[in-house]
Formats: sequence, C-alpha cells, structure tokens
Amino acid sequence: MLRPFEILQPESLDSACAYLSEYGSDAAVYAGGTELLLLMKEGLVHYPRLVDLKRLPKLSEIALDDQRIHIGALATHRAIERSPIIVDNAPVLAHVESLVANVRVRAAGTIGGNLCFGEPHSDPATLLLAWGAELELVSSNGARVLPAEDFFLGLFETARQPHEILTRVSLSRLPEDSQAAYQKFSVHERPTATLAVVVAMSGSTIRHARLAAGSVGPRPVRLQQAEALLQGETASPALFHETGQMAAREVDPVDDLYGSAEYKRHLVAVLTARALEQAAARGLRREHRRD
Amino acid sequence: MTELHSSGDVPRLHLRTSVNGKPVVREIEPRLLLLDFLRDDLGLKGAKRSCDVQVCGTCTVLLDGLPVSACTTLAYEAMDRQLLTIEGLSADGELHPLQAAFIDHSALQCGFCTPGMILAAKSLLDEQPNPTRADMQAYFKGNLCRCTGYYYILDAVAEAAETLAGRARG
Amino acid sequence: MASHTVSSGVVGQNVRRVDAHEKVTGQAQFTGDLALPGMLYGRVLRSPLPHARIRALRTEAAEALPGVVTVLTGDDLQDIDPYYGHALRDRPIVALDRVRFVGDHVAAVAAEDEQTAAAALGLIEVDYEELPSATTIEQALAEAAPEIHETGSLRLGLFHGLSNLVPEGNLCYQHGFSKGDTEAIRQQAELVVEGEYVFPSVYQYSMEPHTTLAAWQGDSAIVYSSCQHPYLVRAELADMFGLAVSKVRVIVPYLGGGFGSKSYTRMEPVTLALARKAGRPVRIANRVDESMVTSRRHNMRCWMRTYAAADGTLLAREVRLWLDTGAYADNGPRVVATAADAAPGPYRWQAYEINAYGVYTNRPPAGSYRAFGATHLMWIGESQVDEIARRAGIDRVEIRERNLLRPGEEVRPGGKPLDADLVGDIRKVADALEWGSARPDGVGRGLGVGLLAAGAHPVSSAIVRLEADGSVVLLVSTTELGQGARTVFSQIVAQELGVPIQRITVPGADTQSSPYDRSTGASRSTALAGTAVLLAAHDARDQILRAASRVLGVGQEHLELRDGMVGYGSGSLELAELFVRHFGLAGGEFIGRGVVGPEEGKGSYDEGPVFWEVCIGGAELEVDSETGRIKLRKLVSVADVGQAINPHLVKAQEMGATTQGLGNALYEEMLFEDGQLLNSTLLDYHIPTPQDLPDEFASIIVENEDGPGPYGAKGVGEGALAGVPAAIVNALADLGISAHELPLTPERVWRATEQRRERTPPEH
Repeated sequence: MLRPFEILQPESLDSACAYLSEYGSDAAVYAGGTELLLLMKEGLVHYPRLVDLKRLPKLSEIALDDQRIHIGALATHRAIERSPIIVDNAPVLAHVESLVANVRVRAAGTIGGNLCFGEPHSDPATLLLAWGAELELVSSNGARVLPAEDFFLGLFETARQPHEILTRVSLSRLPEDSQAAYQKFSVHERPTATLAVVVAMSGSTIRHARLAAGSVGPRPVRLQQAEALLQGETASPALFHETGQMAAREVDPVDDLYGSAEYKRHLVAVLTARALEQAAARGLRREHRRD
Repeated sequence: MTELHSSGDVPRLHLRTSVNGKPVVREIEPRLLLLDFLRDDLGLKGAKRSCDVQVCGTCTVLLDGLPVSACTTLAYEAMDRQLLTIEGLSADGELHPLQAAFIDHSALQCGFCTPGMILAAKSLLDEQPNPTRADMQAYFKGNLCRCTGYYYILDAVAEAAETLAGRARG
Repeated sequence: MASHTVSSGVVGQNVRRVDAHEKVTGQAQFTGDLALPGMLYGRVLRSPLPHARIRALRTEAAEALPGVVTVLTGDDLQDIDPYYGHALRDRPIVALDRVRFVGDHVAAVAAEDEQTAAAALGLIEVDYEELPSATTIEQALAEAAPEIHETGSLRLGLFHGLSNLVPEGNLCYQHGFSKGDTEAIRQQAELVVEGEYVFPSVYQYSMEPHTTLAAWQGDSAIVYSSCQHPYLVRAELADMFGLAVSKVRVIVPYLGGGFGSKSYTRMEPVTLALARKAGRPVRIANRVDESMVTSRRHNMRCWMRTYAAADGTLLAREVRLWLDTGAYADNGPRVVATAADAAPGPYRWQAYEINAYGVYTNRPPAGSYRAFGATHLMWIGESQVDEIARRAGIDRVEIRERNLLRPGEEVRPGGKPLDADLVGDIRKVADALEWGSARPDGVGRGLGVGLLAAGAHPVSSAIVRLEADGSVVLLVSTTELGQGARTVFSQIVAQELGVPIQRITVPGADTQSSPYDRSTGASRSTALAGTAVLLAAHDARDQILRAASRVLGVGQEHLELRDGMVGYGSGSLELAELFVRHFGLAGGEFIGRGVVGPEEGKGSYDEGPVFWEVCIGGAELEVDSETGRIKLRKLVSVADVGQAINPHLVKAQEMGATTQGLGNALYEEMLFEDGQLLNSTLLDYHIPTPQDLPDEFASIIVENEDGPGPYGAKGVGEGALAGVPAAIVNALADLGISAHELPLTPERVWRATEQRRERTPPEH
C-alpha cells in the first residue's frame, strides 16, 4: 500500500535539480514509475516527495549527431524500440529494448529509470556496458559524463548521487566493421543470464571485442580476460567456445532462485559463444552484401 | 526531514481526464493508483487486480492508446490524457469486433483476464493490423490467462484483425 | 460457429458461451466487484514464523488508528466453535494459542478503507515464543519431531467421506491397499525398475485471488465468496457459528478461476467473524501472496518399484508416497487417497502394495488442485513402464496395449470397474504423434496414461422453472469457474424443453434459491449436476405435456416440445398460450425438480468413483542440451468424455488443462526455506505465457457414450493436466534423459543430460 506523498512538477531541469538538492533523500526522481512504484507499494521504500521529470520534453528526445546517438533518459523502452534513429543506427539496441519485461512496462518505463535502478538483471544495462555508452548526470552543481562501466557499482547501486539526474545516454554508431549481439536466457520474469558483445572484425580476424555479462552478479561486468583472448584471433567455433570458458571463469555468481552458481557460470560460457557466433555471422553477411 | 503521516498533510491533486470519451474531474490524493481510481472512484470494475506486480495484465487499460498496468500507475498520470477501459469499447451499444470475436470463439472461460486481454489486443491491432501468430504471442507475453491455454484467444484476435481490415478497406 | 437459435439438437453443438457477453464487456461480477452499504475492508495479520506460541497480543494501537473499526482476535471466538477443516477440524479462524505456518492467521482488522486496514496490521503487537518447527516431510516424521497438532484431540470434518481417518503425531492420514503376493513376485521377476522421486509444491494461481464479502442480517449470515462449494461452506459456517443452516446464505458470483484452490472453506470464517464483531459488512480480498499461503498443491516424495517379466508383462508394483499437507489437513487426506488410487496405474497387475501418507508440516496448507493424485503419480508410474519397455525391447505403445485394463476390469478392490477404452485412447495419441514414423535426431516422443477417480460424492439437484412467456430459469448450484457449466446446462434444458437457449437464464449459485449441489470439482458437474438438470427438465416436460394433453384433448404420446411450442401432428400450441389456458392467466410456473443421489450404497469414495476420468497425454520435444531448455514441438490430449455436449468447450478445457500441465511439468515450483515461501509473486513464480505454448497442439475428443451423465457423458477437465508431465518425462527419457524431480527446469534437464545414458536405438 502506498503511503502519502507529494508530486512535484518541475518545468525545467534547473528546478528539478533544485528540488533534489533541497529534499535530498526525501525525494525520488519519478518518470515511468515501473520500478519505483512497485517498491513503494511493497513498503520497501518510501519517499514523501516524487519529482516528476515528464514535463521536461527534451529529456525524452532521441537524436543522431554525426556518429553519436543521444537518447534522452526519459525515452521509454517502447520509444527506443521504435525510433527510426535507433532501428537504423543501433538495431541491436532496438532489439534489446523490445525484450524488456512486457508491452505495458515498455510503454511507461524509461531507459533512465531502468539504468538508475541498478537492477542486475537489466537488459539495456548489459548491452550499453558492452557498447561503451556514456551517461550524463546533471545536478545543481553542474554536469558530468560517466562511461557505463563506472556507472554500475553494485546491487541496486549506481554512481548517481541522490541530487543528480540522469539526463541522457550516448553511444556511438558502430563502425562498419563492428557488430553487436545480445543473448538472454530467462526462466522467470527477470533473466538468469544476459550477454552482450560488440565485435570489430577484419575479414575473419577479430580486431577487438567488448563483452559484458549481466544478471549473474550484483551488476553487469565487462569480461576483460575473455576480450583479451579474442584480440587478433581468427573467428572460429573453437575460439568462441574457449572464450566462453574464459568468460565463465570471470564471473562470480551466487546460488539463487534464478539458478545455481554453477549453472549460471555454464550459461555465461554458452551465451558468450552464441553471441560471438551471432555477431560474427552478422559481420560475414554484411561482408557478403558488400561484395 | 518531514515525514508525511496522514493523507491530510498532502494537498489533493485536481485531476482532469477523459474516460471512455467522457470528461472526468476529481480531487484525488497523489498516491491514488489508477486501478483503484477506476474501480472505486468511477465504479468501472472491468479492470481487475491480480498479481499486482505488472506481470499478469488483468489491470490493463489504454492510456492515449497505449497499454499500461493500472495497478502500478498513478491516477495522476491520466491528467489531460485519454483513458479507455473495457466499458468504453462498446460505448454505443455495439460490440467491438474483438469482443464479438471473443464471444464467437469462446476465447474466455472465467473471464477475469478478459477485459485486459481484449484491450491489449486492441492496442496490438491498432499498431499492427495484421500480426502473425508469433507477433501475438510476443505481444501477449504480459497478458496471462490461466484458464484457456490461449489458443482460442489467438484465433479470436486473428478473426478481429480480419474484420477490422475489412472495415478499413471499406 | 453454430447458430444458437435452433432449439433441437443443441446438445453436441458448439454453442457460444452464455456468459461471454457479460465477460467481454466487463460487466460480469466477481466477488471483489461487489459492495454492500457500510462495507468495511478487512485484512488479516499473518504469522511471520513457522511455529510459535502467542504469549501476548495487543491491539490497542491498531484499534486507535482513525478509520479502524475493529480488530478480531482469538478472544472473540469463545462463544462459537472456531475450528474448521474439510477432513479434520484442525484450523481455528484466527490463532487461539499458536501459529503453525508462515502466513497463518493471527488476527484480523476491519477498517473504512484498504490502506487503513493495511496500516493497522503493523500496529498490532504480538509476542511470539518461537517453537521448534518441522518444515519438511523428513523433519516432520523424524523422531522427536515437534508435534504440530494435538492429533489425539482432533475432530473429524463434517464431510470427510474417508475411512480410517485417525491422525497420529504428524501423520495426518494414511491410506493403503494391496492385492496378490508381491513378495513372491519380488523373488522371480526378471525386470525390476526402482526409483525415488520428488514432486514440487505448485500454486493453482487462479487469476482472481480469494475474495469474500460477509454480512449479518439480524441472526442470519450472508456470505458472497469466491468459493467452489457453497453448500459445504454453508454447512460448516452454520456449524461453527451455531446457526441453523437455513439462516446461512452463501452466494457465489462468477469465479475468476478455481482449479481447486477455492474448494472447501477458506476465508469465509474470518470474514464472517470480523463482520460479526464490526457490526458491518466486511470484504476481504487476498493479495496473491496471501492466496499462495491459503492453498497449494501438495509436494511429494515417492518411492516406486515396478516388476515385470522379461517379455514385458507387468507383474507387480510397490509404492510408498508421502504428501506434505502443510499445517492444516484441509483436503489432504482425500489427496492421499486419490494419489494411492492413481499409483498402480491402469494396468492388470498380479500384485501391488500401495502405501500413501499425508504429513503435517509447518508449511502453508495444501489442498485440492486439478487432477490431484494423478498428476502426482502418473509421471512416475509411466516412466517406469517406459523403462520396462526399453529393457524388454518392446515398443512403448505395445507394452501398454498388452497390459492396460479393458472396460469392465477391476481397477481397485471394491471400486467401480474400468469404464473407458484406454487402449483405443492411447492408439489415438500414438497416431497423433505419428508413432512409428522416422523423426529427426534429437527429437523425443513420449506418452502416458492413467486414471483419476472422478465425481466426488454424488449428490446434486436442480430446479427448472418454465415461466409464463416460455422462458426458463434454471437453478443449479454448480459454480461457474470458467468451465462453462451454465452454458452446458442451458444446452441440456434447451434440448429437453425445445426452448431457445437465449430464453434460458442460469442465475448461478445462491444457497437461498438454487438447490443442493455437493461441490464443483472432481470433474463432476456435467455427470452429476448435469443429470440433475436433465431430470429436472424431464420433470418439467412431463408436467407441461400433461397440462397440454388436458388442454388440447390429445394424448401425451402425440405431443412433443419444440421451438418454444407444444407440437402435435402438424399443429402447435405456443407455450405462452398453454399457460393462459392451463392457469387461467398469463402467469404460473411449471417447476421441474431433479435430484441425483448415490445409486447404491452410500456413494462413498470406497464404493466409487462415479466414473474414472481418463488421464492421457502425448509429447514430442527437443532439448537444447547446452542450456537444458526443452522445446515442445507437439502436445496431444485425448478427452474421453462419453458424449461432448459442447465440443468447443471440451477442447477449451483440454487446452487450459494442458497449459497448466506444462506449467507443472516445466516451470512451477513453490520454493520454501524453513517454512518461508521464497517466491510469492509472479516475478519469481512462472505460469505459462502464450510464448510457452508448444508449436503444435492436438486435442482429440473420444465419444463412446460410456459415461453416467446426460447422453452418456462423463466429465472432463483434469485428465489432460495429469497427462502432460508423464508425456514430457517419457519423451525426455526417449532421448536418454532421466527425470526424477519436477519441474523440469532448464537447469535440472542440463544436469540430467550430463548423466545421459547410452540411447538405445529407436525401434519406432
């Protein structure tokens, strides 16, 4: 049951920041509310004041600026999934957004809300980490930009301070030689394991790769040893299998009702290999289309 | 730090919205959930509470045509927006093709999930007039039914899609 | 789809549901949609501990909260009999001295609104003295296990219907039977398969959680409830509150699903007690996490051993099984008995020894869920039959053809002989699976067959009232859970009275006006209540024809009812006209009455069942061996229904049951830790979505007119559920993957594939 609260409706980013500075931990940023209201209904958290950002239209804009894609934090999952800019320039992100929860959550829930909640099972977080996205945080003290890997700190813990507002997520259009792929394995509503890769290839040689695993730990993590294994190597099922085995050793899952630690490790190995195969195949198809 | 203990401390909101095509004005508490607003304040009982965690879809209503979980949406969000509930689908006495198709195929059993399911189907067909079976299965992932096993529901939606397409062709 | 204006030949047609219009327009009323003037909102304070004594309970702070009208505690129950329970009256309305499971009723609050009631719960102060708890079967049966009930002093429930219900310690009930000389067979059987198996606790998850609205009118009680068995609830409430049964009225609006979770008495006593203390109507609407600890499917441990000859002749079976019935017996003993009945399987055994035990634990109470007993045992017994087939080198359909009982053969000692063509049924499943055809590598096929004792206690009645304009009111207390009872009964009346279906009204269960029907469950409604409806329609018809005969001066044998008229030769008389001529005004009624009771004996469980419901399923699947994910290519169900009064609705039941079955087989398990339910929301408890459906589903209806119900009908709705886990387990075994624990989550299958045995070359 929800306890009473007040809704504040700032008309500018400045006044939104001012509210957060004034009320501190008494106030919560409120956009789609799909995570926040759930926690508040359960009585797990309570905020006497909600700062509704939805009157700030610029915060939901999606724009392409040369090779940079900028997604306003208040863009809903549905909007991102359908945005021509995203579909044309980051189709894997559009695909991942279409996998979030269900149509109703996607209609109301925002990318900013999702990322700031710090949910370890977040689909976009896993992909954006592999992608190397950057997050802009604004407060009354100014603005700062953080790479995704500095943003996700732990279980429901991000680098965002209570007085800061996540305003946008920026990522680069992938260069011609790069492909992204995403694998998700679910038993319940939230996935047991998620795996994102971004791979740059020349012919069948992997120039470099970024790999991220989500859901199997308190936060999504880069798989740097697995990445190192791929560097400069020739793509092959054996390589991908070995990379998967390495990735499995890099994660540190626990037993919970999504699966045992052993099984999650195993899934990371499997999903890594599959994601790499998928990315490589996309790369090859692209090559063939060019010829 | 102020702690708001009772609803008397919080100013009411003046909510202006449109429900099934009719203007509605109410003074509400900010914390009022859309589902309770519809069921208790407006007496529109078609939307139901089941899982209460946005998974099952029995509370589905359309807000500016988009499906939302009324159990986890504030009534406040309806401000200056259009709400469509199951009661509004056959406002002039004539059943919507989806309702007619659900009857035709007996695409319901206990009926508890039915209002939400029909509204979800409406929003699907509004954006995708000719969905495949797989499209439907993906779209209705969040509209659970424990009675029917879904088959007749998918048949009914397919029939309604055809009916609506026929109407569109004129 | 069939037209529903034709009034003859209505039975056997796909008539549209009579409640569909109400349900698609959101007008259908469920208990939570109802309100009474002055109504309060109730919430129950639930125990956070699995086993504890209550040293003190202070309600002053809660009572002082503005908006709270009253708080109910055990002290308020001293002038009534506070105990209820279908088999054993072991459960108090709220705790009297101790709590026995996490979620047990401690106290209840009634307030002006829901939020105040919820807030008040947090203000009730309880001093618990934690007691040692036994939250698993093993713990409950261990030496020096804490005693969950003073079992010596437990009273029997009002309608338990079981023999030898004598609980002892934490052993709530035991039921066993045997035949032949198992020991002798043990010595010489050439093939022996043995295993230990684990079956999970599963939540029925009807979309509507338990909801009850109760009020007092003077010394009479009126209860609206989402309950499946209003007459049983009524009798129990009357007994508890010291009222004449005639002073208790139970009304059941539409139910948002039941599946057994709403069988017997649930939230009615606490709601009625709260309304009594508050002096105003009270509505309690459970949240899902509350409903999950109100009823659930029994989890089970089972040991089974099957003996056969080298040529695949089944010889004997030994079974020991333990069902965790939770802190209160509820329907547990019945589940134990039915599980025991299902354990041998429908085969011609020379000997068997079956022992089933129901165990109290400090967990939420377990009760009925669709196809109980059969769902528990079929996958085990059928997997052992498949293993025997493999070792004997025989096709898995053939071994069944050889060993299955034929109609007329004894199923269990003293009970009803088999009344279904099981061999014919499995051949149909085999055909649907294209048994014997080549299939791709990595694809497994399996099937399973079993029996479920259906019908419960056979007492049902119905009243047909033909009105002066030719319309009909049908009063029958079968509750409409979604199965389509109102539609099927309307078809019977339409058929028998020649009245169009749109002119028939079935108001639903109200003990004040619709007559006694023992219960809605155990697949009994068509066979039993349906027969009462048929008899009532015949009684009305006889009266109408007698009157028409007198009015027309024509012998009854020349008259028939059709199209809302009395027909004779080429002439006809409108029913409305008959009324005027018979009663002298456009009024009066012809009231037909139909009563079904036990045909012989007492209708007890031991003498029955009313019919054997066929449980059968077929599956074809693949496994992603890297992840263990099962991909269902095909599921097949067979509904052996005697006569399908509404084939479309029969298939609808099959689809629903199959989907619940695949949930039970692949996804669903309630996870407990020290008696605490860990996954109490749909976020962590997965019920099937449209994306979980098999690629193909085939539903076959078999009509051999061999049922006891109208037109040779039996019941339907449960068998398909029990068939699914058996079919899936056997399809997996076909791939060399052995399953001893459900659900077959990807992780379990993955682990099992690591231990996959050498696959024997397929003979089919």
